[in-house]
Amino acid sequence: MDFAYTPEQEALRDNVRTFIQENVSDEVRQEIEDLGIRRRGPKVRELYAKLGERGWVGISWPREYGGQDGSRIDQYIVEEEFARAGITVGGAGSGAPAILAAGTEEQKKYFLPGLINGEISFALGFTEPQAGADLASLQCRAVRDGDEYVINGQKMFTTAAHYASHIYLMARTDPEAPKHRGISIFLIPMDTEGITVRPLWTIQNEPQAPAGTTYGDARTNEVFFEDVRVPTSCLLGEENMGWYVGAMGLNLDRVGASRYLISVQRDEDIVNYVKENDLGGMNLAEDTSVRDRIAELWIEAQVCRLMTMRSMSLVEKGGNFTYEGSAEKVFAPEHGVRTTETIAQILGPYAQLLNGSEDAVEEGVFAHNLMGSFQSGINHGSTQVMRDQIARRGLGMPRN
Amino acid sequence: MDVLPNEEEQMVKNLAREFLEAECPPRLARDMEKDDLGYPPELWKQLADLGWLGISLPERYGGQGLPLTYLGLITEELGRAIAPVPFHSTMVAALTIAEAGSDAQKQDLLPRVGRGELVLTWAYSEENPRLLPETVQCQAVEDGDNFILTGTKMFVDNFVAAEKCLVACRTAPASGANAGISLLLVDAGSTGVSQIPLTTLAKDKQSKVIFDGVRVPRSSLVGELHQGWPIAQGMLDRGTALLCAQMVGAARKDAEMGIDYAKNRVAFGRPIAAFQSIQHICADMILWVDGGQLLTYEALWKMDQGLPASMEVSQAKSFCNDKCEAVVRSSQVLHGGMGFMMEFDLHLWYRRVTAWSMRLGTSFEHRSRIARGLLDQPGRVRLGMNLELPA
Repeated sequence: MDFAYTPEQEALRDNVRTFIQENVSDEVRQEIEDLGIRRRGPKVRELYAKLGERGWVGISWPREYGGQDGSRIDQYIVEEEFARAGITVGGAGSGAPAILAAGTEEQKKYFLPGLINGEISFALGFTEPQAGADLASLQCRAVRDGDEYVINGQKMFTTAAHYASHIYLMARTDPEAPKHRGISIFLIPMDTEGITVRPLWTIQNEPQAPAGTTYGDARTNEVFFEDVRVPTSCLLGEENMGWYVGAMGLNLDRVGASRYLISVQRDEDIVNYVKENDLGGMNLAEDTSVRDRIAELWIEAQVCRLMTMRSMSLVEKGGNFTYEGSAEKVFAPEHGVRTTETIAQILGPYAQLLNGSEDAVEEGVFAHNLMGSFQSGINHGSTQVMRDQIARRGLGMPRN
Repeated sequence: MDVLPNEEEQMVKNLAREFLEAECPPRLARDMEKDDLGYPPELWKQLADLGWLGISLPERYGGQGLPLTYLGLITEELGRAIAPVPFHSTMVAALTIAEAGSDAQKQDLLPRVGRGELVLTWAYSEENPRLLPETVQCQAVEDGDNFILTGTKMFVDNFVAAEKCLVACRTAPASGANAGISLLLVDAGSTGVSQIPLTTLAKDKQSKVIFDGVRVPRSSLVGELHQGWPIAQGMLDRGTALLCAQMVGAARKDAEMGIDYAKNRVAFGRPIAAFQSIQHICADMILWVDGGQLLTYEALWKMDQGLPASMEVSQAKSFCNDKCEAVVRSSQVLHGGMGFMMEFDLHLWYRRVTAWSMRLGTSFEHRSRIARGLLDQPGRVRLGMNLELPA
C-alpha cells in the first residue's frame, strides 16, 4: 500500500497549478463562461495547444501517437488540476481508450494527435429516444454499400454535438443478430452531409450555471442522420463488435478525475464557504447539526476519492476490473446528490438563488447543482445498471 | 500511489486467512462466549509461533518490525474469522509501550508479548465513556516510590485474561502545560483491584474495573508524569484504526455469507440472487465494505508513515460504524428468519460488528473531531490534503 504521490508527481501538480495561474486568464474564463464548460473557443484552443506542447494531454498514451508513455496517475493529476479550474482535459468522452484498443494504425495516427492538440473532439452518439439504459436495443442503422456505409437514424442527448469535430457513433449493422452482436462503432466528422443537429435546452438554461456546476450544461442536442454516407475507414474495430469496443471505452471512461470531482467539489465548497462566511448571521460553522452533516459528507467524499485512486491503481497494474469502475460510478454520483441536497438544508432559502440573482451564494452554484447533480447518476450507465453489473460481474449473481 | 495491498502484504493476508480457516472455526467463537477466560490459550500460542504477536513490534525486542499496515491486515483477518483472542487489547497496549515505554519496560514486556506469554489490556473509558482528556477521573496520587490509584474504568476489554492493564489516570488537574493525565501499567492481580463482568451484545469479555487504593510502583509509569494525553491519543487512534480493520474483515465475511445464501435460497422458482432487489442490496454491501476498507488502510498507512492521521482514523471509524453495521444488518435481512436462529452462525458476526460500532468512539464523536479539523482552523480545505486536528 502507498497512499502518497511520488515527489515527481507532486512537482508535476505544482507545475500544472503554476501554468493555470499564468495561462488561464480572465479572458479565457470569460470565453469558457460564454461558450460552456466543454466547448472550445479560440482562446481555449490556444490554451490547449500549449498543453499539447507540454505533453499534458494523453500522458498515458503511446509516444508514437503523441503521448508520453507515461503513468495514468500523472494524467489524472493534470486532469484534476484543470477540472478544478473549470477546463476539461481528456477524461469522459475523449474516445481515446477505445481507439487505442481497437483502432487501425491509420485511425490512431489521425485521431490521437488531433485529440492532443485539441483539433479533434468527440460527441458521444450512443443514446436514442428508445434506447437509454438498454442501450443495446439501439435502432440507428448503418448499411454497407460498396466501400461506404449509409447511416439513418436519430441520436439523443448528444451533448457535444454542436461543437465537437466528430461523433463517436454506435449504429446497428446486423438487425438479424442478437442485439449485442449486431452493433458497430463509427468515427464520423460532424460536417458530413446528412447530419443535422437540433438543440435541446436543459433546465440549466437561463440563467447559465456557473463554472464547475455538476451537469451545468445549458444545451444538449438531438442528432439526425439522413442517408449519411461514410467510407468504411470510419468503422472502429470489427463490424458487429461495436458493443464490446464501446464497453472498453466506457469502462476506462468512468476512471478519471472528472467523474470524481463533479461529485465532491461541493463538499469542499460548503466547508470553505461556512468557514469564511457568516451567512445572514446564522453562525453555521458552530451549529452542531451542520457540523455533523458536513463531517459525514466529507467522509463520503474521501471514499469517492479513494475509490478513484483504487481504479487508478488497478489501471496501473494492467486494468483488471471486475466491478470497481461500477462501484465508483454508484458511490460518487449518489454522494454528490446527498451533498447537494444537504447543502440546501444547510443554507436554507439562500440555496434556491440562481446565478445572477441578488444575494446568490457562490454565483448560485449550489442552486444549479440541485438541478444537475442527479444527472451524474444517470449518464454513462445509471446507478441501477451499475448495481446490476456489480452484482453480476463482481459477485457472480445470476441474471433473472 | 497504489491503494491496494502489494504482493507481500497480500501474501501475509492470504496466509493468515488460510491458517484461521483451518484452525479457528466459528464453533470456537461460540464456545468462548461461555468460557471464563474467553480465549483458547493453544490458539494464542499458535499465533505467537506464527509471529503475529510481534509483527509490528520493534526487532530489538523480539518483534518483526513490520509496518503497522501488516498488523492491520492480520487484524482484518482475525476479524473475518471472529477469532476469540485478546489480540486487539494486547496489541494496543504493547504498541503504546513500544512507543512511549522506558527501555527497561520494553525489555521486560515486549519479548514476552511476542512469545505469547503476556496478555495485556488497556483502560481509558470511565462512566462518561467519551474519549476526551476531561473524562479521565481515576486519580493516581504519588506516595514515595508508588502511586495510589483510585477510580473506576468501564468497558475494559479482556481484563479477565490480562496480566497487566495500561490505565489512563489523572495525576494533576488539567493546566495550560498539559492535560494532567498519566499512564500506569497496573498488575491486574494487585491488591485493591476488582472487576465486575459486563454482559454484552457480543458476549465478549468486558469488565467494569474498580481500583480501590491500589499501590502501583513508580517504575510502572509509561511515558512522563502528567504527559500521558498525547500518548493516550496515539493509543486510541491506533486502537481505533485496528478496530476498523477488524470490523471490515468481519463485515466482508458476513456480506459473503449473505451473498452465498442468496445464490442458494430458492423462492418463486429461482434463487433469490436472481432478483434485482436482492442484487442491489448485495452491491451496496460490497460498496460499503470497500469504502470502510479503503479508509482504514489509508489511516493505518498514514500512521505508519508518521503523518497526522487522526482525521483519517475518525473518517474510517465513523464510516465503519454506520456502514459495517448496515452490511451485517442487510445480511441478516437476506437470511430471513434463519439469521435469527441461535444454531445458525450468522449472528456471531452480526453481534460482534454491531458491538464494535459502539467502541472506541461513536459516529457522532468521530464526526465531531472531523468537524473540528475542517472548521475550527484557518485555511481552505481540499480533499487529499493532510489535515491535522487543531489543539
